[in-house]
Amino acid sequence: MSFLERWLEDPVRFARLQRWSFVGLVVVVVAEIALPLVFRGGHAHFSFEDFPAWGSIYGLVSCIAIIVVSKLIGKAWLMRREDHYDS
Amino acid sequence: MTLGWVHPGLVLILGAWVLPLLRGRIKRVAMIVLPTAALGICLTMTPGTHGALHVLGQELVLGRVDATSLVFACVFSLMACLGMVFALHVEDDSQHIAGLTYAGSALGVTFAGDLLTLYVFWELMAIASTLLVWQRREPSAVAAGFRYLLVHVVGGLLLLAGIVLHWSRTGSLAFGDMSASAGGLAWSLILVAFLLNAAVPPLGAWLPDAYAEATVTGAVFMTAFTTKSAVYVLIRGFAGTELLVWLGAVMAVYGVVYAVLENDARRLLAYHIISQVGYMVCGAGIGTELAINGATAHAFAHILYKALLFMGAGAVLHTTGLRKLSEMGGLYRTMPKTLGLYMVGAFAISAVPLFSGFVSKSMVVSAAGETHRTAVFLMLTLASSGTFLHTGLKLPYYMFFGKASDLARERRGREARANMLAAMALAALACIVIGIFPGVLYRHLPNPVDYVPYTLQHVTSTLGLLGFTALGFFLLLRHLDPEPTISLDTDWFYRRGAAAFVRRFQRPLARLESGFVGEIFEFVLRRPVLGVASLLRRFDGLVVDSALVGVGRSTANLSRVLKNAAGGHAQHYGLLMAAGFLALVALAALVR
Repeated sequence: MSFLERWLEDPVRFARLQRWSFVGLVVVVVAEIALPLVFRGGHAHFSFEDFPAWGSIYGLVSCIAIIVVSKLIGKAWLMRREDHYDS
Repeated sequence: MTLGWVHPGLVLILGAWVLPLLRGRIKRVAMIVLPTAALGICLTMTPGTHGALHVLGQELVLGRVDATSLVFACVFSLMACLGMVFALHVEDDSQHIAGLTYAGSALGVTFAGDLLTLYVFWELMAIASTLLVWQRREPSAVAAGFRYLLVHVVGGLLLLAGIVLHWSRTGSLAFGDMSASAGGLAWSLILVAFLLNAAVPPLGAWLPDAYAEATVTGAVFMTAFTTKSAVYVLIRGFAGTELLVWLGAVMAVYGVVYAVLENDARRLLAYHIISQVGYMVCGAGIGTELAINGATAHAFAHILYKALLFMGAGAVLHTTGLRKLSEMGGLYRTMPKTLGLYMVGAFAISAVPLFSGFVSKSMVVSAAGETHRTAVFLMLTLASSGTFLHTGLKLPYYMFFGKASDLARERRGREARANMLAAMALAALACIVIGIFPGVLYRHLPNPVDYVPYTLQHVTSTLGLLGFTALGFFLLLRHLDPEPTISLDTDWFYRRGAAAFVRRFQRPLARLESGFVGEIFEFVLRRPVLGVASLLRRFDGLVVDSALVGVGRSTANLSRVLKNAAGGHAQHYGLLMAAGFLALVALAALVR
């Protein structure tokens, strides 16, 4: 699809894509903080879910934790050469 | 069998044998018609008990039809349709027969009202799926198939032992809620067998091992039936078992951790099956109405999007021959349609709003919240982030975007075949329809649903979670580059551990063999056999040989006499004739 190539292979457009992505993230955070204040209600199961921008924070923390912890376990213990079972 | 009730599973299992008799277009029509017929039967089926048989004083129920079995049966037969469309180009009848038998026996498990029927279809499922691994016909696939079969044979034996024990205790083979015998040996054996098929760690290593080695089209079938039929029987028999809540939550995270390390595309997706089935096992364990609905709905949604994801990875494998992420890259130029359809599946599994996972996975997470299980709630939410990280970001990034490896540049690939794309499009359509109109699915769940997925809080926090997972991914991208390694899992115990066991115990075993087994052999077998043999030899020497020698000797003597008689002299013959004549006359005179 020339559409994808247009957006990914042109550095100017790619930079614009990146900028819009960051704007998107900011919008999400703002929405997460502001909308519950505007529209009261909805039901959170736990009090920590009412923490401002809970989803965004937990998403970032989870993602980094998963990558770091998994890689550590993998390097220290689980990852082996591809022919591990062949020898 | 009750008149008017046809078992859709038997339609598939028996109907599959028609395919080798057909050719060309008619065969392809039959390949679609069979699973469509099964789906039609499931959709028009009336709830109740059908197909009851009396065998050996036991009542076997082939067709227990209620809301729970119907929703699973519908998605199984729908999946069989999609799988056959995806496999339409495959010119190998044995694969089609194995695939349809596999789907049919999953339907058999779903409708089974008693443990014996369940067991028979359970084993048939194991055999048919093993064939789908072997049919790739490569040494690694054959080896993986044997390991897969080994594990499932063990699981089947545990199930059989549990069933026999349960039967002898209760006198009934009926399969229902097992909580009455909770904690007993029969209960535990059956539970372990079910957990093994649900790929719950540490019993789940067979799944990535086998699914990554199966045929391109076979793997699509495999993603659907074994684990989800196990979820179904867990819901049936073990709903509300606290152990399952924790196993499920651990499983959801476990799959995600391994997916970070994985380099093989289909193995990565296989680890995410384990992760996703974790939500269902957890839901079955929580056991509230919402949780059971969630486990069922998630199984339904999961079968469709996971099949779609495996179709995408399979299409790449089919057209480029590449299976490792470290060898791929840059395929978006040549396979944009595959990419687009794959991304629908990726959004569905990641629970992006408007896709199916959003309306099904959240039911289980909410059920954990409603029952105030903070740790489980946090683990499941963390696993959601991990799911998006791998299936939605890492895999498409390294497969379709990213820097193309030399190998990928060389085999640029091309768009997948039309039938493959059609199957993917149908699955993608289902993912989107369920996501936008969750009522379509909710209406058929076992319990009445008053759950509303699209609340402001749910949508914004999900978008936040996914958005910042993506941010984390791009921040740590350097550390995520796939490495050409494999990861140790519990299959080590039967791949390496068994070999180490043999090495360690070879000598003691050999000594035991020569010392104990050898002695027994000497006294029980070798000595008596030798004794009998020497007796026979003596008999042979004394009786048989001398009889033969005697016959030979007397023949020689007779010949010597006859030789003298046949000298060729006419006067001797004349003399003999005269003597004979005289003898006859004398004889006649005597007789008179």
